[in-house]
Amino acid sequence: MPSGDTWRRRESGPVVRPYAVTGGRTEPADGEVLDLLAVVIATGRHAEDADGTVLTPEHRRILNLCRRQVTVADVAADTALPVGVIRVLLADLMIQGAITVVRQRPAGQRTGSDVLQEILNGLRAL
Amino acid sequence: MGSAHSDGAAPLATFAAHKILIAGGFGSGKTTLVGAISEVRPLRTEELLTTASIGSDDLSGLSGKNTTTVALDFGRITISSEIVLYLFGLPGQERFSFLWDELSYGALGVVILADVRRLTDSFPSVNYFEKHRLPFVVAINCFDQAPRYDPEEVRVALDLDPGVPVVLCDAREADSVKQTLITLVEAIAARWSRDSSRRGHGLGRPVMAPRM
Ligand SMILES: Nc1nc2c(ncn2[C@@H]2O[C@H](COP(=O)(O)OP(=O)(O)O)[C@@H](O)[C@H]2O)c(=O)[nH]1
Ligand SMILES: [Mg+2]
Repeated sequence: MPSGDTWRRRESGPVVRPYAVTGGRTEPADGEVLDLLAVVIATGRHAEDADGTVLTPEHRRILNLCRRQVTVADVAADTALPVGVIRVLLADLMIQGAITVVRQRPAGQRTGSDVLQEILNGLRAL
Repeated sequence: MGSAHSDGAAPLATFAAHKILIAGGFGSGKTTLVGAISEVRPLRTEELLTTASIGSDDLSGLSGKNTTTVALDFGRITISSEIVLYLFGLPGQERFSFLWDELSYGALGVVILADVRRLTDSFPSVNYFEKHRLPFVVAINCFDQAPRYDPEEVRVALDLDPGVPVVLCDAREADSVKQTLITLVEAIAARWSRDSSRRGHGLGRPVMAPRM
């Protein structure tokens, strides 16, 4: 069995300051912790023009990804930024009206057995 | 139309995202499995750990703004224009149990990878998903040097319920991974129909509170 130290070294990265890109903010401005599978979509509105808010390069990169429908997890993976950082930046964009969030239905309501059959068909066709 | 909904008046056309977890001990093949089947590069998304999450002992001497990151295996399989499967690997439970809770929330089911040379490494995953009533399959990863095991021996060793499938898998092979996922989804369908007939209505999905 690997010791705790082994996977501490292998699975966790160095101690870093990834919140530099959020200006040190660790909480989403609207207080909502977005689900990893929530879908984010650019609205086409750029609120920065209206109220003079300046978007950082990270905000712009994320906004660009949201032009097609992507999940919070996709954004984190595509930008290689930690999920916690992505949640802060997405909240900024939401507050500015630049993106809209489509939440998945809570577990237990969103999935019928017909969906499982569709997933099976899709997997078999891979 | 997907099954997602927005808080606003008009629901937007979007896809339904479904989550499958890949669990197993360190070195059991989780990263390999996700990389073998995912349509995206085997991306690793970094999850942040705050001092509050991992306990002050681990980061003693560091200020509250310091964080450490953990790599999350992440993969995506497009099923149709309306359905996308997302795969998430679970990092070691001893330190990252809060991530297990968060990732398990709303998940369809779990592939637990088992290395027969270190079967006890699978115990935490089996215990966790039994307790949280999330459907799972045990996939025996076929390492070259490992002795060949009869899946039934593994079932006995892990004390699995009869309904839990035990399959052989080569995490490096897309086809083998695909078969494992098919077995999982069939097991999920079987569990749901059992649960709904027992309750008379509803889907019998496990309900777990999200972190926060
Ligand atoms: N022979 C063989 N080797 C494998 C298999 N799956 C993974 N490996 C190797 O086992 C090692 C650990 O796998 P990895 O995916 O990193 O495990 P993780 O810690 O669970 O993410 C790597 O060197 C893989 O190449 C398999 O099915 N057969
Ligand atoms: Mg790994």
